Amino acid sequence: MTSVTSQGQLASAASSEVIIEINQMNKWYSDFHVLKDINLTVRKGERIVVCGPSGSGKSTLIRCINALETHQEGDILVDGILLGQNLKNLDHIRTEVGMVFQNFNLFPHLTILENLTLGPIWVRKMAKAEAIETAMMYLERVKIPEQANKYPGQMSGGQQQRVAIARSLCMSPKIMLFDEPTSALDPEMIKEVLDVMVELADTGMTMIVVTHEMGFAKTIADEVIFMDEGDIVETNDPAGFFGNPQHARTQKFLNQIL
Amino acid sequence: MAIIKAQKTTARAAPLSETSVVGWLHKNLFSSVFNTLLTLVTLYVIYLTLSSVFIWGFWDATFVAENRRECFNNSLTGACWAGVIDWFDNIFYGRYPRDQIWRINFGGLLLALWMAPLWMGRVNGKVLIAVSVIAFYPFLAGYLFAGGSKNLFLQIMVTGAIVAFAINMANMITGLTRRVSLNVFVIQLFGKTSAAEKSQRNLLLLLAGLVYAAVFFWQMSWHVEVVNWTKWGGLFLTLVISGIGIASALPGGIILALGRRSKLPVVRVLSTGFIEIFRSVPLITVLFMATTMFPLFMPEGFVLNKLVQVIIAVVLFNACYMAETVRAGLQAIPKGQFEGAHTIGLGYWGTMGLVVMPQALKHMIPNIVGSFIGLLKDTTLVSIIGLYDILGMLRSISKDVPWIGLHKEPLIFGAILFFTLCFSMSKYSRHLEVKLSAGNKH
Repeated sequence: MTSVTSQGQLASAASSEVIIEINQMNKWYSDFHVLKDINLTVRKGERIVVCGPSGSGKSTLIRCINALETHQEGDILVDGILLGQNLKNLDHIRTEVGMVFQNFNLFPHLTILENLTLGPIWVRKMAKAEAIETAMMYLERVKIPEQANKYPGQMSGGQQQRVAIARSLCMSPKIMLFDEPTSALDPEMIKEVLDVMVELADTGMTMIVVTHEMGFAKTIADEVIFMDEGDIVETNDPAGFFGNPQHARTQKFLNQIL
Repeated sequence: MAIIKAQKTTARAAPLSETSVVGWLHKNLFSSVFNTLLTLVTLYVIYLTLSSVFIWGFWDATFVAENRRECFNNSLTGACWAGVIDWFDNIFYGRYPRDQIWRINFGGLLLALWMAPLWMGRVNGKVLIAVSVIAFYPFLAGYLFAGGSKNLFLQIMVTGAIVAFAINMANMITGLTRRVSLNVFVIQLFGKTSAAEKSQRNLLLLLAGLVYAAVFFWQMSWHVEVVNWTKWGGLFLTLVISGIGIASALPGGIILALGRRSKLPVVRVLSTGFIEIFRSVPLITVLFMATTMFPLFMPEGFVLNKLVQVIIAVVLFNACYMAETVRAGLQAIPKGQFEGAHTIGLGYWGTMGLVVMPQALKHMIPNIVGSFIGLLKDTTLVSIIGLYDILGMLRSISKDVPWIGLHKEPLIFGAILFFTLCFSMSKYSRHLEVKLSAGNKH
């Protein structure tokens, strides 16, 4: 049951337990300083929306959390595991953190069901029958169980993105990262993906979402982070962020997109 | 003001010029006076060529004769196919003892049977079948063709091959008749369908072990007459060299390509160096190196036969070319696929084996088959270093006393043979491409 407060906002599921802690993190692409002195604490069940102009380092930030990118300075602590030094930790982190990309990144040579069961069978060593059962359960949840035996190329973008969400969920991650999940979609498909994400938020999943969908941000976010040129410029609750932005750059950004 | 089309337009048939033969002819061949003229001239040239080929190769040709003199007596303007026909056994089997030729045919038949299930829709476990044929068949075939005494390793592999072949055939039969794979059938046969997965597996392993032991004792008493490799020749030798080349070039190429893209500097530099050295040297040089220089580097008394050296050279040379083909295929895979695989926790080998390679190999089929065709043709170079492969055999016909000076017909026959082999490979690759891309269009 979706519990919505009077302002149309999803009730917070955040607990006091910290699951991600980023401390004075810096990252460079050769000479280019992408992320500057990033500090961020995410509590279990918390939902964070990251926004900002393109090139501000939003995607890089969440890719660092998933260890798809390596940072050069500072610490990232995910579920008690320190990222950066140990390759074994990398594989472990990736099974704990699910990620959904702008371009879906489904495997085009496998059917939807195979896409979903690949991780559970080969990484989690789950029995095939059990993996299929889990996969079908998540396909039901993203409302496309009838597409199980199709290939990704035969589906619409919105359906592919929902499959991508289900694929991540099949690994039963503790944290879900979304990197502009609706940016590559036609307008009429954006809603079906956002609906799935709202439902996921409702289950108490810890989520960090990079998005330009401000309506969505208002609905689910516990906290909105605004980034510009590698800095976290403003952190605020959605009401404050949209109603009364503090920083000049935030105000300018909101004026341009709203 | 809005403009509205009230009625939906129904689809009509295309005009005849798009669909009928006459329409096609008119559009493509006779659209103007000049085009008509060109068409007629071209048809005439085609007629002249084909008719003279037909008269020389068929109408005036001699198919039965004792020697070249008889051919000339029969017709001076026709081909003398009698020489080629007389040499058929040599062309196909070289100087392999005539009473032992069944071994080659039997080996070929085994291979065909072994691979047949790969083309049957109802049979399961195709990857295993393909792996088993590459892992075991060469040892069985090698023993069958060469004969002689077998050491323990060869006995183990030959037994393995026989067991694998038997399992494969049984699996094919249960697949065709009952639509289940062999393991399921055996479990049902013993009424253990409800038993735990582990005890089922143990039962299967036990049975396989028993069969293996039985076959092992059975094959210990086998004696197959030695046929020295110098007697191997003709198409048989060509297929042995290129077959081993094809079967090992792809795995070798994949390993080298992965090595070249590796993050470990030592592996990367070694792979790159190996690939570049072999690619910058002509195959004939590699062959000469392998047969004349290689023995110098080996310890005293270490003798490898020439055929083995040639095969090693062909394999390494082609693995290097294949490595570059595979690398090109790997580079075509978008970065997102690697990232997608990483986010579901797959490590390096999982990412490569389950996500990247299957896609890359599919893209590369035309190039891979192109390399295979090149390999098949390149093996004729071994005739230069004194192996009597098919080209060597074809050329020896002209030195055989009854057929002295008969050059044209054998070489034309060879060309037809090669065309048949290469063209069928090419057609099959096209078929594979269509079949594999049927399900998943990007």
